[in-house]
Amino acid sequence: MNERVRLTPEAIDRLTANTEPWLSCDDCFEQLDVIIDGLTRSNLPLPDAFRVHLMTCPACDEEARSLAALVGAVIR
Amino acid sequence: MGRDMDGLTVRSTASPQLMVDAESAADDWVARLSVAGRVRDDAIARLHALMLRAARHQVGRMPEAGALGAARREEIVQSAADEATVSVLSRLGTFEGRSRFTTWAYKFAILHAGVEVRRAAWSNREIRLDDVPEPSETRTSAPEAFAEGRDLANAVRVGMAEALTPHQRRVAVAVLVDEVPIDVLAERLGTNRGALYKTLHDARKRLRAHLRAHGYLPAETSTEVNP
Repeated sequence: MNERVRLTPEAIDRLTANTEPWLSCDDCFEQLDVIIDGLTRSNLPLPDAFRVHLMTCPACDEEARSLAALVGAVIR
Repeated sequence: MGRDMDGLTVRSTASPQLMVDAESAADDWVARLSVAGRVRDDAIARLHALMLRAARHQVGRMPEAGALGAARREEIVQSAADEATVSVLSRLGTFEGRSRFTTWAYKFAILHAGVEVRRAAWSNREIRLDDVPEPSETRTSAPEAFAEGRDLANAVRVGMAEALTPHQRRVAVAVLVDEVPIDVLAERLGTNRGALYKTLHDARKRLRAHLRAHGYLPAETSTEVNP
């Protein structure tokens, strides 16, 4: 690897994150409204695949948290 | 006590009535957006107002939007609301009523606004997509070198060079090391977020397998789930 690449501990965490169980960005988006609305009615944990996806896809995570905030739900 | 959701009243506490109200509201939205004439025009105008609200909410949450300036932010809000309105109308037949209509619709505005802000924030920034060169000292991949060094960072470097394809390396370095937003890289490469996330998923699997094989990660179990 060239010199400009700096492998910080955070970068190593991102590179080695386990993204199983698999969930695609498209499927995450499909489920997003149902799961977020569900959070407004119960304290059930997020489905594993959805939670793992949010942990490893910052864009989907940001949008999920934004939707949750807009409808009064909280992602823990 | 109810609260007004842009003209549609739903209850703010969980109850069977909430679901009935939400379903009625969803039916109302779908029906009004599906007929022709003045009723539909009014519904589209209300929908667009909802999309503006969600887009403005999203842009307001993003730190990177601050540097864009008020005028550019408002352009993004308006553009995202327009695009989201079109997205909702074109997908109306796919709405299954499993969430509130407003929640379903909001996600389109949030998506469009988020993508636009990320792209705007990086519009003048160069992204280097050179293939990552091989490590100069390939002997570090030997088991004894791993055993001596126990240097995870070096093991990751070697793993990236040896286990990933050139495309996987370029995407992984850009997104996971240089922190280029995935939507920005997707635009530059002419692809989409989902395809790049799949590339990262495959790259991570290969890298994890490489690290496991060299003793840097524990053996994977069938029930393994991220903490």
